[in-house]
Amino acid sequence: MTKMTKIPVHLDINGHHHDLQLEPRVTLLDALRDRLGLTGTKKGCDHGQCGACTVHVDGERVLACLTLAAQAEGRTITTIEGLAREGELHPVQAAFLKQDAFQCGYCTPGQIMSAVACIREGHAGSDDEIREYMAGNLCRCGAYPHIVAAVRQAALEVAS
Amino acid sequence: MTVHNIRVGETKRGDAADGALVEAVGGRLSRVDGPAKITGAARYAVEQQLEGLAYAVLVESTIASGKVRAIDSKAAEAAPGVLEVLTPDTIISLRTAADWFGTPPPDKPYCPLARDITFSGQHVAAVVAETFEQAVAAAAMVKVSYGETPAIVDLSDGKAGDGIPIDAMTKEWGDAAAAFASAPVRICAAYNTPREYQAPMEPHGLIAHWEGDHLTVWEPSQWLDGMARTYAEWFGVPFENVRLVSPYVGGGFGSKALALGHGAIAASAAKMLGRPVRLVMTRAQTFTGYGGRAATRQTVTIGADHDGKIQSIVHRGVNETSIEGMWVEPLGSVTSIMYATPNFSSKQNVVRVNSVVPGAMRAPGENPSAFGIESAIDELAYEVGIDPLEIRLRNYAEQDPHAKKAWSTRQLREAFAAGAERFGWARRTPEPRSMRDGNHLIGWGVAAGTYPVRRAYGEAIVRILADGSVEVESSSIDMGQGTYTILAQTAAETVGVSGDDVVVKLGDSRFPRAGVSGGSRLAGVMTGAVYKAATSALDQLIGLAISDPRSPFHALQANTLVVAKGRITAPRGDGPDVSIAELLKSVGRVHIEATGDTMPANSSAEDRYKNYTTIAMALPHTEGDYSRHSWCAHFVEVRVDEDFGTVRVSRVVSALDSGRLYNPKLAESQWKGGIIMGIGQALLEEGIVDRRHGRIVNNNLADYLVPTNADIPDIETISVGIPDPHSSVLGGKGVGELAIVGIAPAIANAVFHATGKRIRDLPITLEKLI
Repeated sequence: MTKMTKIPVHLDINGHHHDLQLEPRVTLLDALRDRLGLTGTKKGCDHGQCGACTVHVDGERVLACLTLAAQAEGRTITTIEGLAREGELHPVQAAFLKQDAFQCGYCTPGQIMSAVACIREGHAGSDDEIREYMAGNLCRCGAYPHIVAAVRQAALEVAS
Repeated sequence: MTVHNIRVGETKRGDAADGALVEAVGGRLSRVDGPAKITGAARYAVEQQLEGLAYAVLVESTIASGKVRAIDSKAAEAAPGVLEVLTPDTIISLRTAADWFGTPPPDKPYCPLARDITFSGQHVAAVVAETFEQAVAAAAMVKVSYGETPAIVDLSDGKAGDGIPIDAMTKEWGDAAAAFASAPVRICAAYNTPREYQAPMEPHGLIAHWEGDHLTVWEPSQWLDGMARTYAEWFGVPFENVRLVSPYVGGGFGSKALALGHGAIAASAAKMLGRPVRLVMTRAQTFTGYGGRAATRQTVTIGADHDGKIQSIVHRGVNETSIEGMWVEPLGSVTSIMYATPNFSSKQNVVRVNSVVPGAMRAPGENPSAFGIESAIDELAYEVGIDPLEIRLRNYAEQDPHAKKAWSTRQLREAFAAGAERFGWARRTPEPRSMRDGNHLIGWGVAAGTYPVRRAYGEAIVRILADGSVEVESSSIDMGQGTYTILAQTAAETVGVSGDDVVVKLGDSRFPRAGVSGGSRLAGVMTGAVYKAATSALDQLIGLAISDPRSPFHALQANTLVVAKGRITAPRGDGPDVSIAELLKSVGRVHIEATGDTMPANSSAEDRYKNYTTIAMALPHTEGDYSRHSWCAHFVEVRVDEDFGTVRVSRVVSALDSGRLYNPKLAESQWKGGIIMGIGQALLEEGIVDRRHGRIVNNNLADYLVPTNADIPDIETISVGIPDPHSSVLGGKGVGELAIVGIAPAIANAVFHATGKRIRDLPITLEKLI
């Protein structure tokens, strides 16, 4: 059995540059969590079925468990740790707290990253639209009605 | 130090309600652990970053019954980065641990890797490597050969038989058979629920780390002290040598209360390698690494008068268990208390099948029990032509029909009234298929739910620190119920400081002990313990202020003093007005510390150990003069597509009696979560068995369907509870499990109203309706 070769991977995450040596099979999710200590992005299924690992790559929501770290090279990655600016919560984060849009908190970073993108995509126009475009992020605690309320609130704040 | 330690900093964002201060008990304080969770700063158990961490991956059986003939691990051992391949032959020997009752275990070794296979997905080997990727790749190279024998795949398997009678489940009074035979109206029906899975978003896993004969385990846990005891017994080390750390728990729903085989494997690997080892189950492994809700079968027969008054209930139940383990899902629990009946009989068997031993999932027992009785009474309502709400009131149990004791509190009549009013029940037309919106058949259904008040004893430390802030410590946990928040509120109100000045530390077994966070008992137990400790700390503070010669209050000769918003004053407002910090400084104290527990005064050290590490000392809900339960009434609207048979829940109004709410904002979230899990149970969730291999085939989150955001409508909850002094120190009853109970029958009843089809077999999928 030959040793798997590591390759250099350069990642731009939350405005910081990281030079890593990784096996090509390392996912973006495992690179974030196990190599860089950025554990805010969660692993719920590792199969792209739950949405807990949602991050932004070049501003679009992406499942980090279905993305190889090497694929993200040269792109701009934003994780939950990079959402608040200078200590100010993003309006979506503040709305999640106010609306109690989470319980255990494990799906929450993915929900918030999805919600930010959902609003940016223009898919937060009605409660039904929010439900549909947030349906890829599972929440077993069942915070859905409060997530809808939080996205609705944040969408209004972002628009104003 | 990995302990969560976040200050209450969000107080001003909360909304005051019911006249209560936001940060006092009963106030709508936002989650104090919220800022950490929404910024990604909350570090869950397996996210601790340790030097030298190795990664373990499980290898599981691909047959459901038989023996492991051989394990060929040569290729795996030679794979890059592999440190160890654990098999039944190579893993270190452990001792069998006591069960959760503390029953002394048989004196024989315990091996978490199986040679004898009794279910598909059983752990047979594990690979440990330098990286996660290397461990995953090498685990796929482990070749296991089996001698396969026929499996009993599920309850409907011809080999399953009638099972084992569980005499402890028998409840009987009057002569149920004779009363049923002579009743003018008789109904009889069978109700089935499938295997269901807790599916918390955070998979089970742990990091195990040995330092000498001391073991630290970072593991999501609903019960640190119980799990620490199990690890200690497995490895033959003193209880004090095991430290469990679980600062946040990514959902449990009953599944994270016990130390399980994968934990023993990871801790063994860590001991063998002398390195910290992380093992996290794959999502697929979470369907067999521990048990979900057992599949159940019930027969409910009701004999009644023409006016719907029940004369007799005869109930027979069956649940599946595993070949080697025993799980009893108490199916007569709601049947025996919901309605008044002079004659009653309930019996239950368990049937062994080749499955992992089933486990606790949100309201074990009450949940399927309610599906039976709350569907059956709806059938009776139609049989006698009485409104489904009216028939429930007509058979209202004024006392516990089984225990023959008064209810401590039962606001169920109020729940029916409030829910019906808000839902608009009076506008319902009774005939099935009588309400329609275009192609959608509309159905309105009602059902009740209940959950017993499980009580136990708790322990906490409250410290008043030199800067006037307050610190609370407990080894209890927060898996989303809001423990951090309600304990901060309890301490803030009791001592008399602002919420911002309280720090709550949970999730470390080095802290004062706590029993299991399950059965909806934690809030009642721990608010009581913190209240007691905080009261004791306050008494010490006031005592010092009155009696210490250096105190500015010493000359006042007051009998007592008032502490509010962190300041100490005399009751009449005369005399000094000093902060807690100033007082402590003046009397030369660094801090005041009080340990509070709710154990009986003369409890021995052995009693205390038993109380916190087993469930043997839990108090029966019918202890003393009262029968204690939470209650609820659900009103549900469904829309059924007439052509396609698809069911959508379009509206839910639930009125719930959980006694006094310590924080309504968080209680409402838990209620809604229970309702949503109940919608999943009613319409989506079912573990599907491949009958050829006895294997769960939909062992992932794309095929085992849990509700998504798009499946869930607006949900309204109404609190109708009143403080219940018999249930807990501060008057609350259970919250977390109550609301799922009764949702599935409410939906099934609504589907019947919409379509005229009675579905007695969950989930209600479209092929059952066309």
